[in-house]
Amino acid sequence: MARNRKNQSAAIRFGPALKAFLMCSGIVICCIGYVWQKQQIYELSRQMKSREVRVSLLREQNDKLRNQLGTMLMPQHLEERVRELKLGLVPPQPGQVWRLPEPQIVQSSPPREQQYAAEQTPGLATP
Amino acid sequence: MVKKLQYRRLLMLALLLGAAFAGLGYRLVDLQVLQHEDLSNQALKLTQHLYQLEPRRGDILDIRGNLLATSIFVKTVCADPAMIGNRQAEVAHALAPLLQVNEAALAQRLVPRTRQNEKGETLTNNYVVLKRKVSFETWQKVNFTMTNLTFNVNEKALNKKEAAFYQNLRTKAIFADPVDDQLRSYPGQTLAAHVLGYMGVRDSGESVGSDGIERTWENKLKGVRGWRWSERDRRQQEIVALRGQDVEAHDGLTVALTIDSFLQHVLETSLAEAMQKESPISISGIILRPRTGEILAMAVLPNFDPNNPGGSEDARRNRLIADVHEPGSTFKIVVVSGALNDQLITLNDQFDCERGHFPFAGRVLHDHAPYGILSTESIITKSSNIGAAKIGIRMGENRLYQYMQDFGFGAGTGILLPGEVSGILHPVKSWTKVSIAQIPMGQGVAATSLQMTMAMCAIANRGMLMHPMLVDHLQDEDGNVVARYAPERVRQVISEDTAREMVDALKTVVTTNGTAPKAALEHYTVAGKTGTAQKPPYQSNKFYASFIGFFPADNPQVCIYVSMDEPKGDLHQGGQIAAPVFKQIAEQAANYLNIRPDKDGEQVFPQLAAATDADQPVKTIVARAP
Repeated sequence: MARNRKNQSAAIRFGPALKAFLMCSGIVICCIGYVWQKQQIYELSRQMKSREVRVSLLREQNDKLRNQLGTMLMPQHLEERVRELKLGLVPPQPGQVWRLPEPQIVQSSPPREQQYAAEQTPGLATP
Repeated sequence: MVKKLQYRRLLMLALLLGAAFAGLGYRLVDLQVLQHEDLSNQALKLTQHLYQLEPRRGDILDIRGNLLATSIFVKTVCADPAMIGNRQAEVAHALAPLLQVNEAALAQRLVPRTRQNEKGETLTNNYVVLKRKVSFETWQKVNFTMTNLTFNVNEKALNKKEAAFYQNLRTKAIFADPVDDQLRSYPGQTLAAHVLGYMGVRDSGESVGSDGIERTWENKLKGVRGWRWSERDRRQQEIVALRGQDVEAHDGLTVALTIDSFLQHVLETSLAEAMQKESPISISGIILRPRTGEILAMAVLPNFDPNNPGGSEDARRNRLIADVHEPGSTFKIVVVSGALNDQLITLNDQFDCERGHFPFAGRVLHDHAPYGILSTESIITKSSNIGAAKIGIRMGENRLYQYMQDFGFGAGTGILLPGEVSGILHPVKSWTKVSIAQIPMGQGVAATSLQMTMAMCAIANRGMLMHPMLVDHLQDEDGNVVARYAPERVRQVISEDTAREMVDALKTVVTTNGTAPKAALEHYTVAGKTGTAQKPPYQSNKFYASFIGFFPADNPQVCIYVSMDEPKGDLHQGGQIAAPVFKQIAEQAANYLNIRPDKDGEQVFPQLAAATDADQPVKTIVARAP
């Protein structure tokens, strides 16, 4: 029997509804995806900018600290500090430099089959 | 009838609508087609912006990595006079103390200036620089001050236009130039000022190295500018998401010098003390390694602070390379070396020094003491002018001229600093009859102090003349070495044997028989030569006193040059006033560089010495005694 308004099946037709739902869902997902993507771009741009600003500030701070360290390492500054703190530091005179003759390197005996810690004689390690 | 009237009205309406649509259509075509190019360019100009990314200028380090010059990013504070209206006085009053400028001058600069362009339109300037090189902290203070500035007006009673004016005045009228500038900082202040040089500003506002290493190495130090095309919103803030081309700036390379900041300090301190004592016009000194030509320290007094390089031009001049003078007796090393090298004389050959009075070619040459017969060695020891003149005469004009050229006189040493001069070395054809007798004693020839030092270094370096070396290596921002410079030989001037003989002769100068016993060191054998040149006109009592020496004489590690221009004290001889300064510098340099003494004074722990097999070669390590 043909289907018509008077004589139609009691069963609900899900096909078109599902199609419409899927289509709408697709559009909504696309829209949400687009907005999310834009939001991500905005958020990443913001993070990028803030990190750039931070890098720039750290760089400036680094430059200042480098300059400060350079000043503190200058010989005239160190001399002033030595005077201020009354440390009495002076460079040694050549007569105060003692030159130590380097001890002769002791040749170790050829290795035996077994060596025991108790038998080892104290000596200088060879390089 | 009614129908006809209705048709007419309808037609009229249709015509009007048609005309309106035609007008709109034309406008559309005009905007989108005819004016498309111009309008799109205008739109791009409003939104797109080219950001210039400034590279950081490279540092200058000493040989041990200590910082000698560095750069700090700073702001250029600018103003838009068109936005200030008639509030110049208040703004200038608020900003002048912060920017440390004259208030009246600042107010004057804030006054809008008008000009007419080619089309006859009147334009108001909207960019004026208030101060360059302002630190970030000061710029923040300026910003804060401007934001909180009150102009004694009831802002609630202002209309919209006036409120917008005050808002813009506070937030936009004073701004920082978008292109960052850099402040060059020299932590050592005057330390090695003549080597480092200083920064100047071009008319365009760009900083550029104006002297010294800063100038010579400008291309390596300045780096390469980067750029970024991006879009801006209506608040002129960058829209990061719409960035186009983004090319990073390449920072400048760091230049590591052969200068040692401690030795530089020692040199400058010693020269300053001598300056105070002898009050010369200027005093100069160099410390270098004869074997390599590395300059460890180079100083001239009076000097200047490159952080603020004002003052006299004389103080900024590196006299060691830019000034020439007659070297005086130090030049005798050239004639004696040449004659020894040509085997025209030996150290034991005898010369009659005519009791200090030698008429030659219509002139009378004098010695500072009436010497009789002197050996070649004694001529160096006593610094006899007549003896040197007789050696020169025996040598002949052409050979003498050749040796002078070989020792590097009459040509630049090739030091990588601006302003070096070649000195004056007349060709033989321009010599007078007396020149052959005058030149050997250091008259009639002009040299720079550096040329004289390099000549002495050639003798110390077994006859090999070296190029002076000031830059050790270049490194990038991560510390990677990108170029390393090796010592460069110029030529073998004299043979090794001749150089050895010369060293033996020069050792006698610092003995009690010589002219510079005050240069002798307790723990090291010194070889050197004094110089006392009378400044032209020779009748005046103006002298140029100098001493050049190296030690340990047979294994030279360091060569030191000291000179004084017109010392004002009672003494004026190089051996009397320059030699003690040499000694002072040499003792400290030897300690610092831990140079092994070649005279007695070396101490060895007795117990360890006894324990060491006498037949075994002894290696030593150094310890500091308490």
